[in-house]
Amino acid sequence: MSENRKKTIDVALNRVEGDLELRIEHEDGVVTNAWSKGIMYRGFENMLKGRGALDGLVLTPRVCGICGTAHLLTAAKALDMISGAQLPVNALLVRNLAMMAEHIQSDLRHGILMFMQDCHNPAYASLPLYGEAVRRYQAFKGRSVIGAIGMTKKILEIVAILGGQWPNSSFIVPGGVASVPTFNDIVNCTYIINLFTTWYEEQILGCPLERWQQVRSEQDLQAWLDESDAHRDGDLGFFIRFARLVGLDRLGRGHGNFVSFGQLELPQGSAVRGRTADPLLLAAGFIGQGQAPAGCDQELVTEHVAYSHFVDYPGGLHPSEGLTQPYVSPYEIIKYSFCKAPRYNGRPAETGPLAQMLTSGHPLFADMIAAGGPNAYVRELARLTRPAELLPAMKTWAGEIDPEAPFYHSVREIPDGHGYGLIDASRGALGHWVEISRQKIAHYQIITPTAWNGSPRDHDGVRGPWEEALIGTPIADPDNPVEIGHVIRSFDACQVCSVHLLTNNAPATGRSRCVRV
Amino acid sequence: MRTRIICIGNPFIAADAAGPMVHDILAGRSLPAAVELVDGGLAGLRLLPLLEGCDQVIVVDAVEGFRDEPGIVILDPAALPPVPVDYGHQAGLAYLLQAAPHVLDPPLPAIVVVGIEGPATDAICREAARICLDTVGSASGRPCRLQPVCAG
Repeated sequence: MSENRKKTIDVALNRVEGDLELRIEHEDGVVTNAWSKGIMYRGFENMLKGRGALDGLVLTPRVCGICGTAHLLTAAKALDMISGAQLPVNALLVRNLAMMAEHIQSDLRHGILMFMQDCHNPAYASLPLYGEAVRRYQAFKGRSVIGAIGMTKKILEIVAILGGQWPNSSFIVPGGVASVPTFNDIVNCTYIINLFTTWYEEQILGCPLERWQQVRSEQDLQAWLDESDAHRDGDLGFFIRFARLVGLDRLGRGHGNFVSFGQLELPQGSAVRGRTADPLLLAAGFIGQGQAPAGCDQELVTEHVAYSHFVDYPGGLHPSEGLTQPYVSPYEIIKYSFCKAPRYNGRPAETGPLAQMLTSGHPLFADMIAAGGPNAYVRELARLTRPAELLPAMKTWAGEIDPEAPFYHSVREIPDGHGYGLIDASRGALGHWVEISRQKIAHYQIITPTAWNGSPRDHDGVRGPWEEALIGTPIADPDNPVEIGHVIRSFDACQVCSVHLLTNNAPATGRSRCVRV
Repeated sequence: MRTRIICIGNPFIAADAAGPMVHDILAGRSLPAAVELVDGGLAGLRLLPLLEGCDQVIVVDAVEGFRDEPGIVILDPAALPPVPVDYGHQAGLAYLLQAAPHVLDPPLPAIVVVGIEGPATDAICREAARICLDTVGSASGRPCRLQPVCAG
């Protein structure tokens, strides 16, 4: 292989991530190396130092324009821990319902509005499914697009109803929730869950939730697809047909390590049960390549900065001791990202719905990973079908709220101490590590899901998850590297959400790039 | 006429702080009972429900590329230039305004955007707040006292 056959593409993946750039090195039409660059310093950790103990509840939801509820919950859980708060059952139910509504809207907006948009990429114009893809996913015209926007708007109304404020709801507080939904509010939530479930069954699954839940292996999946036209004609059926046609299962393998912080605490006395003995509906865990799921110990989380634009320290630091000191030099040749590199027990790990399904013991995804390893197809399949895991529990939990019982146990002040909040946000493992001293924030460290997935290389030079997942990706047309888009979008990258400007000069396609040869 | 003033942006990012600054100015004023002031934050498409249940919506946001000099521009969503139609995490006001007619039940409210181009100085934001109040209830959707600074 001569060196001059290598070519480099800088891809500004606007549709995925305005503050994310990828540098792809490819040779003979195959990606041979990749660098994921976060190009904006955020600095929330430093912004929070010295502020009031409760300020993280207001400021950290601004980290992300899509996952505000997740950051609010994570910040509150850290303070729950420090204050030793015991939450009433109603508080857990309300918190869970709000998070599930946020997940469902995120899963379907990403799936239908982002991922499936690539199905009518010009690269596929000659494929037999192209016309159907246009009819479904053409912006503002496709029937799936219109349905997804309308119904995800509807499901989010649950957060507004339960939180009593929209947007920027701040109803989750240490000790519970500050809002007290009425009986009528709960009836409204149940109505929305039922309405959404009906739409999801008809439009996305093409079958009742109960039928989909019988799919427990890849063989079952094939039988389900063959069973009826309704299954094949739903968006899930179309996705499977399209994925097989273009070979999504051959793209985006990655390291094969998965991490989930778990989520959705099972309230005492609830009729809802998880698949495992974990006290969460979706269990926490770590899965090393080819290994069985193990528990997740946050003590094993570290952040590396060897390739990140921060002042160096050797190896990795636990977030409770993390340092966030930006450092940029014009002479820099090693560091290339404003993202740190989170590692679990020293290893990179992907996070998101697929990791969540695996650590919580979903048999279909365990079977698919055992058979073919991770890939873009199974990653997106997990995202599109996660609502099927959540909707039945949502309906049960809405019915278990007792408007006459407490929603909050008083927390008069936050004492000095360390704590952390860990959840799975819509895109995966999210953690806030907090130290409170004299009623003020002494230390705050946040690791977002995209920091896990989009991390740069670590102290040992090991690539981050999607950097690794891109290796071996074929690129048919370097001017339209749709294959790279499939891989990155299967992780659902998110980092740009802090700035939304109305611009008059935005690129027409959202796929601006420059090619360097 | 029920009016909703939605201020959009991120108070922690200077380039996107105009909306929140105008919100804070308006929050310190006595508004008519029929006017609801909303901190729209970074909600993007999540603001769709706020385009329902009212007759007029005034959106305040930082804008870029709509005038040569820093200042205020009044924009009619129907007259906005084509925007990227792909949804993404960066999808903000432009996507929201384009999606609204397709997914909301009619009648839609009259929508006007008060855009702030360039640095969000205190003077500019106070002027934007005044324009918002002058626009409340305006049948034309334009401020009742249009000043040169507002010319788009």
